[in-house]
Amino acid sequence: MLTPVWLSAQVPPHLPNSGLIQLQVAQPAVDVSSPVTATAAFDPPIVLPGGKSFYRVNVNATESAVEWPEALPAPAGLEFGAKARGMITQSQINSYRPLATFLYEVTGAAAGRYTITNFAVKVAGEPVEIPGATLEVLPAGSSLPADYAPPRRLLLEVTATNLFLGQPFRVRVLLPSGPGGQIAALREIQLNGEGMMIDKNAMRQAIEPVNVQGALRPAYVCELLVTPIAAGPVQLSAQGFSAGSEFTAPISIRGQVSLPGGPPKYQLLISDPVAIQVRPLPVDGELPGFTGAIGKFFSDPPHLSADRLQVGQPVQLKLTFHGEGDLTRFVPPTAPRSRDWQIIADPPPATTFTFIPLTDEVQATPAIPFSCFDPQTGKFEDLSVPAIPVTVTGTGLPVELPTWDDQGKAGAPVKLSRLATAPGRLASSMKPLQQQVWFVGLQALPVAGLVALLFWDRRRQYLAAHPEIVRRMRARRALRRLRRRLEATADAGNAAEYVHLAARAMSLAVAPHYPADPLALVGGDVLAQLEPAARNGQAGETVRAVFAAADAQYAGTPQPGPELAAIRTGVEAVLQKLEEKL
Amino acid sequence: MSPRNFCFLAILAAVTAIPNWGGATTNDDFARGLEWSRAGRFPEAAAAFGNAAKAQPAVGTFLNLGLAEWQRGHAGLAILAWEKASWIDPFDPRTRDNLAFARQAAQVEAPQLKWFETVSTWLPPNAWAWLAGAALWLAVGLVVLPGIFGFRKTGWQQWPAALAAGVFLLCLTADIGVVSRTQIGFVTRKNTPLQLTPTHNAEVVSTLAAGEPARVLRTRGNYVFVRTATGAGWVEHDGVGLVCPQ
Repeated sequence: MLTPVWLSAQVPPHLPNSGLIQLQVAQPAVDVSSPVTATAAFDPPIVLPGGKSFYRVNVNATESAVEWPEALPAPAGLEFGAKARGMITQSQINSYRPLATFLYEVTGAAAGRYTITNFAVKVAGEPVEIPGATLEVLPAGSSLPADYAPPRRLLLEVTATNLFLGQPFRVRVLLPSGPGGQIAALREIQLNGEGMMIDKNAMRQAIEPVNVQGALRPAYVCELLVTPIAAGPVQLSAQGFSAGSEFTAPISIRGQVSLPGGPPKYQLLISDPVAIQVRPLPVDGELPGFTGAIGKFFSDPPHLSADRLQVGQPVQLKLTFHGEGDLTRFVPPTAPRSRDWQIIADPPPATTFTFIPLTDEVQATPAIPFSCFDPQTGKFEDLSVPAIPVTVTGTGLPVELPTWDDQGKAGAPVKLSRLATAPGRLASSMKPLQQQVWFVGLQALPVAGLVALLFWDRRRQYLAAHPEIVRRMRARRALRRLRRRLEATADAGNAAEYVHLAARAMSLAVAPHYPADPLALVGGDVLAQLEPAARNGQAGETVRAVFAAADAQYAGTPQPGPELAAIRTGVEAVLQKLEEKL
Repeated sequence: MSPRNFCFLAILAAVTAIPNWGGATTNDDFARGLEWSRAGRFPEAAAAFGNAAKAQPAVGTFLNLGLAEWQRGHAGLAILAWEKASWIDPFDPRTRDNLAFARQAAQVEAPQLKWFETVSTWLPPNAWAWLAGAALWLAVGLVVLPGIFGFRKTGWQQWPAALAAGVFLLCLTADIGVVSRTQIGFVTRKNTPLQLTPTHNAEVVSTLAAGEPARVLRTRGNYVFVRTATGAGWVEHDGVGLVCPQ
């Protein structure tokens, strides 16, 4: 179980006082001039059928100098499994001696003696003989010798086997205690597997009791942080040299252990592989600000060192993240870009930002997008840092300036005006009238007035040249007025008035044709304007009757006139015909 | 009161109330701005005066807005506010003196005006428009109406017509100047980059001081192409404030 980690600013490593001196001391040379020797052996040399043994060849040379053959001169019946190779430097007096080891896991299927004969390999161009070695496979059911010791293997433990790409996980390489409970250190530890990135800076060593086949035994434990960088199935295995009591880093010890004395016996060991499945991160649903953080993370509310500041005054924003996952590879959010802020992020893994306001118009720090991927839910989680309100004040400008006269003497300073106590002169808009559509449209009104005046003048001149049109227009208007009065008189049943008005209307309707004053016209003048057929028909009769009655009224000798109801329709028909002629 | 009279009075009241829409809010903002300015709370005062000016542009509002922005250290915004006040009333001595003071303190030049733009500063912009309209139609009327109404053409009609035509031509020139001056803006932020292209990562030709005048020639996206005394280039849209926002 990984405990929550508090992230803080990275501090430079502290060198002890003698550290620099140690760096200046010449390191021992690597011995490559001594004669190269080689050893080969099976470990263990005796097994039962199906039992596993290791064929181990040690050469006192660098691994790269050895031209190791692809195939060994192995007898039939010897099955080869996992293989490994590695190199370690052995400390000697005033020098280091390289030791390269080539290791094969072999299985003897059937009883017999299997000998890998001696063979020569080239080391730095010179032939070196690899001695022969023999593995004896006892018949099935035989008992192993009393001094038989099973071959030592490394154990490999991983915290997860089903991972997402980029999800860090811990790997424990264990070397259980050997005969007598002696603990040996491991050096040159390697993890073999495609697409795995190992963070050796996060390596932790310990000696602690572990459960090995149901029994608690002390074991050397090396814990590494591994990150998958390629998707797909991976076979992960470990290898390392047992190195006696050569611990290369501080180590914590739990329980009672015995450490071997004397020169270490370097032995290349391997572990069984562990299958790991690596899945790519989902493409959908990725949130902004994802920096590769994978795990279950939480954030505390951001803390800003001040919320009232001046332009140019730096302020620190401290972010705190907790997590159930591994925080050693936690990449904090990147600094956002803002025109109004200068933002400086402390180098990772610190999660502190320095904000400097560039203007007093800002009212909040910019939000920092951030997200992580939770492998348990398979979803991205939003951890964005919200904007924090701030009050930024600017620096004022001078409100008065000194003045000097021609002789260089100081005069009364020039000052800004006082505040206006009232809004003063108003404007409906800052846009000038010259650019406003309504004002341009307003200019059409005088144009329209002028055009109307011109048309009126032309009409006036035309009518002056054609007075008959005016007479007819006036006659039409007067006739319409009289016809309305006729209607009213007829409705009132006043026959005498009706006859008088009808005669007047008929005279009025025919007056423009002569032209003459309507009062000067008689019934004959009206009849003359009727069509011959109408003149001799009902219309003529109506005209004659109306004028006869009107003349009698005018002469003061009233006679029984025509019935109003009888002539009303005829009068209207005559007036209609006369109006149509106007 | 008859229904007809009631309707007439209601319409009259509505028409007279239209110009005062938002007047109460404007006065409130103005009063609040005054209060905050006297208390030294210039950011709040600038915001209040800005709101008041947006609702109802006024000389006093822009004058106080400029004072508040100046106290905040925003020389560009202060000069822009006083230029707006001067646009409404070019005869106000306070805005004229403040502009001279600000330009001396901030070491920036006044905009270089063409001759017809200088003419347009003699009167408020809208006065030129009304004057031009009145002069034009007076001249046209004096020429056309006697013929229509049959009056005999006399010298007292000819001389005013010629005078009105002359005034119209002068006003037309000033109107062109007014329209041309609407392109003049002022840099609102100090050290505003003048860019070679209207892009985010463009090469910076030079930087402009706050309050420096700039003629806005065209717009593309979030950038405007401006010509200043130091050169031409692209500036972010909010880096230049126009006296007459378009």
